[in-house]
Amino acid sequence: MNLPDGRLLKSRVVSDPRYPLAEALDRNLTGYAVLEPQETLLLEGEGRGVVTFRDGVPDLTYATGTERGGPAALGDLAMPGPYHVELYELPDDAFDALDDAAAFRVPPGMPAERLAGDPALAASTRRAAPDARVDAGTGSGDASDGDSDGAESRAPEDRSAVEAFLDDEEKIEAIREQARREAEARAEEWGFD
Amino acid sequence: MVEAFAVASGKGGTGKTTSTLALGMALAESHDVTVVDADTGMANLLFHAGLSEAETTLHDVLSGDATVEESCYERFGMTVVPCGTSLDGFRDADPARLREVVAELAADTDVILLDSAAALSSRSAILPVVLADRVVVVLQPTIPSLSDGIKVQEYASSYGTGVAGLVFNKVRDDDAIGRIAEKSERYFDGPTLATVPASEAAREARRAGRPLLAHAPDSDAAAAFEDAAAAIDVRDGGSEAVADRFRSAVIPDPP
Repeated sequence: MNLPDGRLLKSRVVSDPRYPLAEALDRNLTGYAVLEPQETLLLEGEGRGVVTFRDGVPDLTYATGTERGGPAALGDLAMPGPYHVELYELPDDAFDALDDAAAFRVPPGMPAERLAGDPALAASTRRAAPDARVDAGTGSGDASDGDSDGAESRAPEDRSAVEAFLDDEEKIEAIREQARREAEARAEEWGFD
Repeated sequence: MVEAFAVASGKGGTGKTTSTLALGMALAESHDVTVVDADTGMANLLFHAGLSEAETTLHDVLSGDATVEESCYERFGMTVVPCGTSLDGFRDADPARLREVVAELAADTDVILLDSAAALSSRSAILPVVLADRVVVVLQPTIPSLSDGIKVQEYASSYGTGVAGLVFNKVRDDDAIGRIAEKSERYFDGPTLATVPASEAAREARRAGRPLLAHAPDSDAAAAFEDAAAAIDVRDGGSEAVADRFRSAVIPDPP
C-alpha cells in the first residue's frame, strides 16, 4: 500500500492502541496512523502497522511484517503495548489514487474491537461512519450497534482471527516473554518485599 | 483452611466483578467466603452488591481510619469488603496495607476472592495477583482479552501465584468457544472452569445492585458460574501460614 507522505500531527509512545483510534475520531482525521509495537520482533522483522482514516473513521489497514491487509492485518497488529504511534494528516483527496484499496479495507468499528478491545469506541466509530460504509460492513458483523458489554455479534472471519492468533505460538511466546520481563522489572521497581 | 484467589483479567469489560461475586456466592454454598474489592483505583463491587451507601470501605481501612471488621458486610451469604470510589479515598489509601487486611481476613474465612484491577500498570493493580495463592483469569473470546489474559498469567507465575483456571465470559453461540477454549488451554496453566453465555441477566443484576446468582439464579449464566465454582478445588492453606505469608508477601527472585 503506497501512501503519500502526510503532515505529522503527533508522535508518542502509548500503552494501548486505543489512543490513535480515539484521537483520529476526535479530530475527524483524514490521514493515517503508523503503529509500531515496542516488541517489533513480534511482527517478524519490520513490524509496523498502518491504519488509514477518512473523516476519523478507519478505512484501510496494512501490516508491514506479514504484508497482509484488511482484517488479517488487525490480527497481526493485536498485541500488548506499548506502541510507538505517529498520526499523519493528508489532504481529503489523497486516497482517491489508491485503486487497489479494497483488499486493505476493514469495517469501520473493527479496529477498535480487535486492536483496542473497546466495543464502546467501536460503536462511536460506526455512528460517525457514512451509511454506505456501515452498510458495506453488514455481513462482516460490523454494522450492529454494539454496546460496552460487547454483546454484538461477531463475524466468522473475526472468530477465525482469534483462532489464528491462538495458533501463532511464536507470537504468543513473545507476548509471554515480554510479560515476564515486565513482571520482574516491576517487582524490582515496586519492591514487593 | 484459607485459599486466596485473585479474579483478574488484565482488560476491562470482561465481567470480572460479576464473576467475582458469582463465584463467591457459589463457593459460599460449601465454604466461608470473603470477597474483597481490591480494585482500589476503580472500585465497582459495591454497586454490584447493593453497598453503594456503605459508610466504611476498604479505602478507610487502607488509610488507617477504620478497622478491617468495620469494612466487612454480611451480604448474600458472604462477607463483602467493598471499596470506595472517591479520588480522595484512593489518594489516602496505602495499597501496601492490603496485605495486612488480607492477612487479618484469612484468620476467619475459608476462601478469599480479590476482585482485581483491570490493569497491570501500577503497584496497587498488581498487588492482588502477588498476594493471592492462585488467579482465576476471566476472558472473553477476543484477541485483546486473550492477549491480556496471557499477560496476567505470566505476571502471576513470575510472582509464584498459580492459576486456578479460566472463565470465558460473555460467550455467544457463534463464538466457536469449544475450539477457542481448547487452543487457549495450551497457553494457560489451569483448565477452563466454565464458559458463561452472554446474558441480559448479568446486566439487569448489575442495575439492580444484586449479584447475578441472587438476581437470576436460574439463568444459564448463573448455572455456568456454579459449574466454574464446583470445578475449583479449594486447597487447605492453614490460616496461620497464609496469614504469615500475606504479612511478608515475599516475591521470589526471578529464576
